[in-house]
Amino acid sequence: MRAVTEQSGSEPADAALLARIAAGDDEAFTTLVGRYERRFYAVARRMLGGDADAEDAVQTALLRVYRNASGYRDRWSGSTWLYRVLTNVCIDHWRKRRQLAEAPDPGDALESRPADRLDIDRALAKLPAEARAILLLCYIEGLPYAEIARVRGISVNTVKTQLSRAKRLMRRHLSEVKT
Amino acid sequence: MNARKTDQALRDLLDPPSPPAGFAERVLGAIRERHEAGAAALAFDVAASARGIASLRPGVGRVEAESPRARALAERAREELAEYLQGLRSYFTLPVDLSRAASFQRSVLEAAAAIPFGEVRSYRWIAERIGSRSAVRAVGTALGRNPVPILVPCHRVLRSDGTLGGYAFGLGLKSRLLALEHDTPALVGSDTTRIACRHGCPDERRVAEHHRVVFSSVREARAAGYRTCRRCIPTDGQPFRRSRVGTR
Repeated sequence: MRAVTEQSGSEPADAALLARIAAGDDEAFTTLVGRYERRFYAVARRMLGGDADAEDAVQTALLRVYRNASGYRDRWSGSTWLYRVLTNVCIDHWRKRRQLAEAPDPGDALESRPADRLDIDRALAKLPAEARAILLLCYIEGLPYAEIARVRGISVNTVKTQLSRAKRLMRRHLSEVKT
Repeated sequence: MNARKTDQALRDLLDPPSPPAGFAERVLGAIRERHEAGAAALAFDVAASARGIASLRPGVGRVEAESPRARALAERAREELAEYLQGLRSYFTLPVDLSRAASFQRSVLEAAAAIPFGEVRSYRWIAERIGSRSAVRAVGTALGRNPVPILVPCHRVLRSDGTLGGYAFGLGLKSRLLALEHDTPALVGSDTTRIACRHGCPDERRVAEHHRVVFSSVREARAAGYRTCRRCIPTDGQPFRRSRVGTR
């Protein structure tokens, strides 16, 4: 599934919603949450590997959006800003959880899932957080390189480097699992 | 697997998972709750010597200082603590005066001071780090008598099984501090200057929200082409310069 970047018909654009949220319009916030819940959840879930962590990260990210909407500038599209807030939060959560993850926790959380899901989450967990975020923005959200570069505040070349590194690591891990 | 096959395999495998039922409603409810709760203010009594902060206790905001320099340090401690408790700061710039601690306790506290913001370690980790593997219990006692809690982050030390262990000021405060650190970014970069700072660094404060990028470690910031700030000096796993803690 590719990301829907155009706004359809009468729906207000993300930028307009963010301006209304900054002005204290709670209804605009509810609309924005409805619009982004699936996309945010998908990235956070793949980024962090578990439902509870994903929910926590989406919560924190949207809380930050709610509080900081006035910091948004329309030099960028609204979605760029939103993805940046989300990936910032996910990377931060991951960092903080890393030492605890050395305990046997991730395996337990994934036990009931089908084998291929288990493999993909395990393989993803081996990537550095930044490279993983870039991989997910590319393959789940379908964002172009230039957009990913803006979201993560890096150059297009760094996006390509990180992406090929992530793919190389994923390929190695997935073929190990297959054999 | 060749590159095209990898692309296809990744697209299939990463097929976006759908949120569980009631997700948006739950998230909205929780956000409202968290927004309204805010951070209840905490006041501290601070005592300082010219060497650094010597004691910190939950209290009424009293300051005890033996010289003008000590007073300046104590005032700065109160400011930095207030920022920390509001989620605006991930590190302290204050020297700590541990001259009254015995040498074993000092080494325990120095080890605890090396635990990065937002991370946790076990009592055993401290014992091993100071070369007294069997002294796990004594480590707990030494941390329990930490004269400068928060500045020396003994709240980041948990039992090996992940349970909280103890805290001189109550487990409620310990879990509040851990939750606060969980919600606060540690390392923030600016995509215009390509510099990564610790959260709360004066240089980081000038970064507008839409230029902010969070990194999980100094290594990752460097891999993304950022250099570290020369003012707050972020490092991996060594949040204080050694001279910051001790008897200098």
